Amino acid sequence: MPSTLSLTVNGRSVSAPAEPGERLSRFLRERLGLTGLKEGCCEGECGACTVLLDGEPVNSCLVLALQAEGCEVVTVEGLSGDGLGDLQAMFIERGAVQCGYCTPGMLVAAEGLLRNNPEPTDAETRSALAGNICRCTGFQTIIDAVVATAAARGQAGDAA
Amino acid sequence: MNFVGRRVPLVDGAAKAAGRLTFVADMQGTESLHGALVFSPHAHARIVTVDAAEALALDGVLGVHWHANTPANHYNSSIWHIDQEALADERMFPEIARHIGDRVAAIVAETEEIARHAAALVRVEYEALAPVLTPSAALRRIGPATGAEGEPTFDNPVAEERFAFGDPEGGFAAASMIVEVDVSTPRSHHCAIETHACRAAPQPDGRILVSTPCQSVFAVQAVVAQALGVPADRFRVVKTPIGGSFGGKAEPILEPLCAHFAMVYGRPVSLRFNRSETFVSTRTRSSVTATMTLGLRRDGRITARQTDIVVDIGAYSTGGNYLPGSMLQRLVRLYDVPAELYRGRAVYTNTPPTGAFRGYGSPQIHTVAEIALDIAAGRLGIDPVRIRARNLVAPGAIEPRGGLDLGNARARDCLQRGADAFGWTARRAIGQGTGRWRKGVGVACATHINGCYPAEDEETTATLHLLADGRVQLILALHDLGCGADTTIAQIAAESLGVEPAAIDIVAADTDTCPYDLGTRASRMTYICGEAVRKASSALADRIRNDAVLDLNAAAGDLVLSSASVWRGDGASLALSDLAARLVRRGVDLPSATRTHRATANPGSYAAHFAAVEVDTWTGSVRVCDYVAAHDVGRAVNPMLVEGQIHGGIQIGIGYALYEDVAIDPRDGRMRGDSFSRYVLANAPEMPPMRVLLVEEGEPTGPYGAKAVGEIATIPVAAAVVNAVNHALGTELATLPLSQERILEALARRDIPAAAE
Repeated sequence: MPSTLSLTVNGRSVSAPAEPGERLSRFLRERLGLTGLKEGCCEGECGACTVLLDGEPVNSCLVLALQAEGCEVVTVEGLSGDGLGDLQAMFIERGAVQCGYCTPGMLVAAEGLLRNNPEPTDAETRSALAGNICRCTGFQTIIDAVVATAAARGQAGDAA
Repeated sequence: MNFVGRRVPLVDGAAKAAGRLTFVADMQGTESLHGALVFSPHAHARIVTVDAAEALALDGVLGVHWHANTPANHYNSSIWHIDQEALADERMFPEIARHIGDRVAAIVAETEEIARHAAALVRVEYEALAPVLTPSAALRRIGPATGAEGEPTFDNPVAEERFAFGDPEGGFAAASMIVEVDVSTPRSHHCAIETHACRAAPQPDGRILVSTPCQSVFAVQAVVAQALGVPADRFRVVKTPIGGSFGGKAEPILEPLCAHFAMVYGRPVSLRFNRSETFVSTRTRSSVTATMTLGLRRDGRITARQTDIVVDIGAYSTGGNYLPGSMLQRLVRLYDVPAELYRGRAVYTNTPPTGAFRGYGSPQIHTVAEIALDIAAGRLGIDPVRIRARNLVAPGAIEPRGGLDLGNARARDCLQRGADAFGWTARRAIGQGTGRWRKGVGVACATHINGCYPAEDEETTATLHLLADGRVQLILALHDLGCGADTTIAQIAAESLGVEPAAIDIVAADTDTCPYDLGTRASRMTYICGEAVRKASSALADRIRNDAVLDLNAAAGDLVLSSASVWRGDGASLALSDLAARLVRRGVDLPSATRTHRATANPGSYAAHFAAVEVDTWTGSVRVCDYVAAHDVGRAVNPMLVEGQIHGGIQIGIGYALYEDVAIDPRDGRMRGDSFSRYVLANAPEMPPMRVLLVEEGEPTGPYGAKAVGEIATIPVAAAVVNAVNHALGTELATLPLSQERILEALARRDIPAAAE
């Protein structure tokens, strides 16, 4: 029997039914229509389904939807406001997006890193994204984009 | 140049970064049925009967499909046009399963969950047959006849290619040293993050619309028609955005099933493989075992070369019968070898089928050749860069197999400039060290083709229309595999037309609306399709200037297209949208242009790669710590995207050298590396800093001088890394991947002293 799950997704309170064995990734994609979130393996290895769960990056395929009761979830859809977010724009500018299938998870994982560590080094960024597979870019432009976004945010913060 | 040569961001980048691009798995709708497959647990077995009573009793299950109730047409999934002759040995559901993971049955149900649950309840009775699991076993026997009457049998070798050039006997006799090297390469998998998926939906006119992330809508149409035994025009195929392919989605796998189910049930049907299914039941890169014998003068000049290569193509022919010839074609375009002997054989085994994978034989053959050449250099005591410089082809060289001109072949520039940037001479001279970590540097060269000429009628047709809003529509069956081909092509169109690349509307590849094109394969997008677009856009620019003569009161030759407007010499201008509006008001057709480009050349793209590694003598692990890739691209239409291709190629190549192997067990045919937890890729921490050098000397036959880069990007990588490891350890390792176990074994064998504490 489905239960009614209540949580905050991308800043919005939502309630929807979820089965006991339903993965959070499926709940977000199919019940809430957040298809920006991708699934690449459903076993926690590829990171395509990464979301922020109360601020921490997690593989949403390994979280049962009902475990997220009362939590705050951020998906790639939550990284844009009226336009693209700064991290998204930097990904495009630096060539960190190719096919776009790992991109939503990669962006969310990177956002999670930047919220916890506003000035990550190259090595820290690589380590933080070690659970996100990209088969197109060789990661270099992704790392560059994350570090550049951190620097830009730092400057914006200094100026403020 | 306004747009060619610029680092233009992806035209669909914002949609991708926002998560707004609709991939086929994102096409949701409650009306869609779903399928789930039952896979063979046996490498070779007759499927006696399928008992789906329990599955069919579940609520929401519509039916079961297997060989007894499915069209028995044989097909070949690698054909790219209707009526193409190819060994048709595949069926939607075979009577005899040929590999673990072969399709035995499918359940169609209201939801994917129900379908998968039901598929697990299907009971299959098998009659086990003797499998052939290794290429050496396959060569020893002309394999078992697998089929009922009329079904193709398992004859090995399925293809054989022999070639002789020059005077091999004399060449080997003249050699100061003859070096024979055995190299073997693994089965690797594409690992596109989007797994295989497809959707088929009946249309009001009774036809079936197949939506699929594919590399050629026409190939899909041809294969589906062949498999279903239904005329091709009953199917409309549209390409959806593609979450990576690398050749893995070149061959239709799910499309015939999906289209068949949609016809049977008269409802839309979605199929998608999970990760493990994508590993075991799609395609892998073919593995090779090869012996290469080199005759060399003391100065490093090659006097003769002999290659004997066996390609394990797995359970179905697909295009595997072409591989021995393809490998030869690629091999002879890199070095000026005066005498050549080649024998390539492709064999079937009862293992998952192989198919296209970024380079189509090139990574295998160049890995073999570049490791062999490095080992030869070591035995001769010649620097690996110098031995390559001594033998590389020069611009304008004629290759010996087809007599084709290799064009402005800048292999030597790649080698020299790459070596300088890497600091090769100084780094090679530094010792390997004596500690736990041994250092080494390696180099490898490669070449690859530009399109299918002359094997195929290599032509394509591009049509450009000025739209009423001043934008320009491009009709050409383009299949951007995710690397930005649409952006590159848009830049080429924008260059003549003076509009932003984002103002070029590229229609999705569609069998109903696009003229035939061979699709994204054989490194032909930029070189072939790009040239058709260059010609069409230049013609459209002429038409627009002519159409603006009246309004701007100037001769067409005095008008310039720029900033989405037509400009007169004195600065007066007319926006394209205004021009379009005036033409419409006057009842004049909006200008359009169609041009067909037929290739008459197939120049070589070239590359030289340099890797620095550190090998841990305690654990056998290898760290690639620095990387330089120099590429002859003719001209980079978009340097950022070219670098992106090369970066990604390096990632796949490092995996090929060190980690990636689906690891088929030679005892039972089971794939051990069938998930991301058991199939290791180079992730962000494993990737070295990469520097890319572009040699842009221009190829006269390419659009704005451009040549291909997509496939060659990965071709030299594995050999460069392996050569660096061999330099670090003083070994001659040549069995890939260089796993920790293999390196530790080699260290034990060579008795390399463990590092002092």
